[in-house]
Amino acid sequence: MKARLKAVGSRLLQLVVLLGTISTTLFLLLRLSGDPAILLAGEGAGPETIDAIRADYGFDKPLFQQYLMFIWDIARLDFGRSLVNSQPALGFVLQYLPSTLHLTFLAILFNSLIAIPAGVWLGAKPTQRRRKILSTVVSVAQGTPAYVIGLLLIQIFSVWLGWLPSIAGTGTWAWVLPTATLSFALAPNLIRVVAASIEDTTRQDYYRTAKANGAAPNVLLIKHSLPNALLSTTSLLGAQFAFLLSGALITEYIFAWPGLGLILVQSITNLDFPTIQATVFVVAYLVFFVNLILDQIFRIADPRLRRSQL
Amino acid sequence: MKENVKLPITRRSIAKKGKSSMLSLRISASILGFLFIVALFQPFFYRVDPTYSDLMLRLQSPSLSGAWLGTDALGQDVFSRVIAGFRWSLGIGTVGTLIGGLIGISLGVSAAWNRGRLRTFLSRLIDIGISFPYLIIAVTIVTVVGRGFWPLALTLGLVCWPTISRVVYAETLTLREREYVTAARLFGIGSIRSIFTHILPALRPTIQVVAAFTFAELLIAESGLSFLGLGAPLGTPTWGNMLNDSRSYMVDAPWMMFGPVTAIIVTIFAANLLGEGLNAHEQSRSTRVSQ
Repeated sequence: MKARLKAVGSRLLQLVVLLGTISTTLFLLLRLSGDPAILLAGEGAGPETIDAIRADYGFDKPLFQQYLMFIWDIARLDFGRSLVNSQPALGFVLQYLPSTLHLTFLAILFNSLIAIPAGVWLGAKPTQRRRKILSTVVSVAQGTPAYVIGLLLIQIFSVWLGWLPSIAGTGTWAWVLPTATLSFALAPNLIRVVAASIEDTTRQDYYRTAKANGAAPNVLLIKHSLPNALLSTTSLLGAQFAFLLSGALITEYIFAWPGLGLILVQSITNLDFPTIQATVFVVAYLVFFVNLILDQIFRIADPRLRRSQL
Repeated sequence: MKENVKLPITRRSIAKKGKSSMLSLRISASILGFLFIVALFQPFFYRVDPTYSDLMLRLQSPSLSGAWLGTDALGQDVFSRVIAGFRWSLGIGTVGTLIGGLIGISLGVSAAWNRGRLRTFLSRLIDIGISFPYLIIAVTIVTVVGRGFWPLALTLGLVCWPTISRVVYAETLTLREREYVTAARLFGIGSIRSIFTHILPALRPTIQVVAAFTFAELLIAESGLSFLGLGAPLGTPTWGNMLNDSRSYMVDAPWMMFGPVTAIIVTIFAANLLGEGLNAHEQSRSTRVSQ
């Protein structure tokens, strides 16, 4: 129990330090990019408005005092109002969370449906030919950025064939192309890891013993190889989940998918610091909790971890 | 006598492996070399200035007599702009890798060489660097310095150093326990000198491989940032900008997209192949040495 608390504690500390660094950067940035009161007031605001904002936000106080106030606000999850539509930034960002989660789950689902069988096929019988296929797939996918895949998919399936919509919210099938783009970007890595871990289990002693005892190939694969191989795959899936929450932004941008990534890009283009901050915080918290949950899943799934750390 | 090919390492298998890695090294190095020549001597490779715009010629489809890859919405020649994009992308990739390499190698080596507080501090720094969102770095630099070649190269350098650091750190940890390094220490050779004469030369193969892969990743990141409108100044002939422009004309002018897409894929593929080739070459060399 103590070890477990310690692991959670070190993760929490890392989260706090990361968020602290990011907020300090953004705090200094807002002050470096000119008079923040003018920026917050927006274009065409009179001098009285600017003065009111200055007093309201405490910009007339010393910088250090401002910093303490800023950190205190953030600790209470008050990120201020968006500079663009003056909604509270956190609430504004949270509106977009469900649609990002929707896309993330679809991408993880399809990615696993493609990659796990393919990885098992490659890893269970690593012949020369299969290896060649694997390395070709991986190097092709590595060399194709997500935006290229997305644009080509739109060109082929929306423009030329006219089968699928390319913009979010324009039909029941709008999720297909973004999901395909993300799965294509994620699958090669997963295939490689699944194949490698399946191959690795076939070299273990217990596997050899089972084989010597006359276990059928299918039993060997399903009962002895798969559980161990999928366990090491779970951590990659977790990392991919974390990546999707924040890293799907180019895909969201291409398909105008109303998610966290699109909000982040838009708020960065508009220099909307409160929204940037709220988005980064939401993503960091989600990644933190996903990792915590994964740790627990590992502990439940792997008896060795349970024994050593409890 | 029949040679036993099932042995894990035979002379023949080493020779074969060495040869195939040399082949992919040669191919990728020649492709990249040619692309760098294109980037350096770009005016020789196009006929129309990449920023020259003729609205009478807008959205022309590709033809052998006119614009080879067609023209874009401002009547600019797509082929010229793709060629001009080489200078921008390869330049940013190179400078970004150099900056990231400089920071990454120095921090990685000092984290591994020193023990105690400094190591703990530096490894925490590397951990935070890896999980730091790169868009925040990009927006910081853009706000403070503005858009352009050097700000973007700096951004990418600041994005890629933690990965380089981590690899260098792990490698240096094993290197510093080698006998020759210990022997040098016993002879009273100082840390700085030992790092420069014993550690860095031994790190060279690893650094080469990491640099090639980093270069490929930075090309993706660079055109991605430009594609989002956060990288190159608008209107500059870069692949990311061209792709972003092409989004509005996918029905009328799909050719606006194909030039930059091909250029990106070929360049990234060559850089990845170079990394894999260097890696395989290094592995076959080290198995030969340990024989």
